[in-house]
Amino acid sequence: MVDMSSTSFDHLSKWIERHEREPELVAKEKLDRIIRITELKTPDRVPLLAPSGDFMLNQTGLTWYDLSYELTDKVKKAVSKFALEYPGDFAIFFVPYLLEGFILAAAFSDFPDFSNSIRFISGLLHDVLRDKWSRWPGRELRVDQHPQFIGGEFMKPEEYSKLVEDPVGFIHGTILPRACSGLGSPGTPQWNGAWIRAGFAVQRAMGFMMETLMQLKGYPATPLTNAYVPADIIGDFLRHPTGAILDIRRHPDEFKAACDALLEPVLKVATAIPPIPPLTMFFIPLHLNEMLPPKLYNEFYWPYLKKIIETLVGKGYKGFVFFEGDHTPHVDTLLELPKGWGIAWFERPRDFVKSVWGKLKGHTTVAGGISPMLFYQSPEKVEEYVKNLLQEIKPEGGFMIAPGVSELPKDANPASVKAFINAVLKYGVY
Amino acid sequence: MKPVKYTLRVNYLKDLVNSIVELDEQKSFELAKRILEETRDPKVVFEAVRQAAEIIGEKYEKGEFFVADLIMAGEIMKTISGLARQKLKELGEARKIIGKLLIGTVEGDVHDIGKNIVVSMAEAVGFEVIDLGVDVPPSKFVEAVKEHNPDILGLSGLLTTAIDSMKKTVDELKKAGLRSKVKVIIGGGRVDQYACEYVGADAWSNDAAEGVKIMLKWMEEKAK
Repeated sequence: MVDMSSTSFDHLSKWIERHEREPELVAKEKLDRIIRITELKTPDRVPLLAPSGDFMLNQTGLTWYDLSYELTDKVKKAVSKFALEYPGDFAIFFVPYLLEGFILAAAFSDFPDFSNSIRFISGLLHDVLRDKWSRWPGRELRVDQHPQFIGGEFMKPEEYSKLVEDPVGFIHGTILPRACSGLGSPGTPQWNGAWIRAGFAVQRAMGFMMETLMQLKGYPATPLTNAYVPADIIGDFLRHPTGAILDIRRHPDEFKAACDALLEPVLKVATAIPPIPPLTMFFIPLHLNEMLPPKLYNEFYWPYLKKIIETLVGKGYKGFVFFEGDHTPHVDTLLELPKGWGIAWFERPRDFVKSVWGKLKGHTTVAGGISPMLFYQSPEKVEEYVKNLLQEIKPEGGFMIAPGVSELPKDANPASVKAFINAVLKYGVY
Repeated sequence: MKPVKYTLRVNYLKDLVNSIVELDEQKSFELAKRILEETRDPKVVFEAVRQAAEIIGEKYEKGEFFVADLIMAGEIMKTISGLARQKLKELGEARKIIGKLLIGTVEGDVHDIGKNIVVSMAEAVGFEVIDLGVDVPPSKFVEAVKEHNPDILGLSGLLTTAIDSMKKTVDELKKAGLRSKVKVIIGGGRVDQYACEYVGADAWSNDAAEGVKIMLKWMEEKAK
């Protein structure tokens, strides 16, 4: 057992103190670590992904409603305080952009000046669009409930041909009016007015997110662009995952043609933000991946994901791809990508060390290794776990230790979260 | 004539099980229809669904089947057990219920893909299912346990916050003195052994077929 008799988290305290004393230097060190790992090299220490989610709310006293709608100093300060108390080398604070909305980015893929700003849905935008894809605290949900993406079926299987013929036109003319009651019908005063309001909402949300990020002490600003797998656009926004999965078997040719047609708008959105040295990453969260058997994954999902990654890496971006669920059965396909293509973040693979790290090390930068449920365990157990994991993974570089999702449960033990960070600082030095 | 009919039935049963496991929607549907027309025995279809669910559960456990397969299988089972139920009704009979499952997505969560697969499969294998829907508060689960007296309580959820709601629900059950009356199974993308211990559930599963298999085992044990 690890001796935790002091439970003072010395390493963490020192790092926090440095965040306040020399934030620019701390930010630079963090950026260097991330750059080093994307180059598959060893940084000075294993970088760690900062926790957030319900746990952050429990620690700050904020509600999900506050994060979604209260664009105030109170929220900014609370987020900054949390980011200082539970720091990471890489953090995901998208406040108030909290839910998936890539269909909107695709719809405006010919507008590089704002397509990425409308890639996530905020509560403010939801109020204007009144979209049926998402539900928000203080609106459809209680103020203490996490905003939720529920998607839905907004397209019939018979309509694939229309989607294939003109994806952007079909989204505007057919899908948006069906999914967003706030827009009314295309061309009407309500439609035009709603889009002007949507513009204001996007600007407010974007402004607030930037201000919040600027306030964080010791965090680097790295440009991020966005992409999405065509099959997930279909599953998340058009046919519901259940519908998409049945379509793959019932209408395979139409499904594939739709994926082909959606590639162009996806790549337009991704390249709207130019690759700025030293590091511009493109973020892709995967959704249908783990649900598909390899045969279907290899035919309807992977060719498109591969094409997107290869195209963007060829243009000078690095990937930051979230492999939702258990991606173990499909891990081998990643070896088809160019070495050092980016960071693959795994949510809950069956055997992280053996089936993910063992296969990908030296080829793909890997993030993960920690179940968010681990934080229900005692600080001693967490430290022991981190120590063992790092012992197995080092000395190779190209690794970021991360909870399977950055969202930690509400009742996660604060001392255990601190023990996690402290242990990485203690045992993660190369 | 009798032995011939018996052979015919066994083949039908085997063929139908195979076509479900092969996820052949069209073939399963046509075969089920033919069985019901020719044998007028819905039990063959129900038995095929039960056997198929078991095989599919094993295949999922071995990593040979995926959620997409479970969704397809759930669709097929729902359709053909619907046909069989209709036939049963025409014959003026009712299906034997193997157990009662009360299920819902827990408070704070509105995701229901997983829960719906469980509902389709559990109904198909012979459970009476009471589905409370999504975002179900602990008090509603407790009231429903009192009212319906289920054998099993299924708590579903995708979000990490769902784990807390599951724990709250089990705690409320304990407070109401009902915990020992039901088996509790939790399910969802983010549940694992840690979550199961934390929640105080009897079992956990990331997939519907395995979940149904666990529930069938419980009912067998209870029947002993």
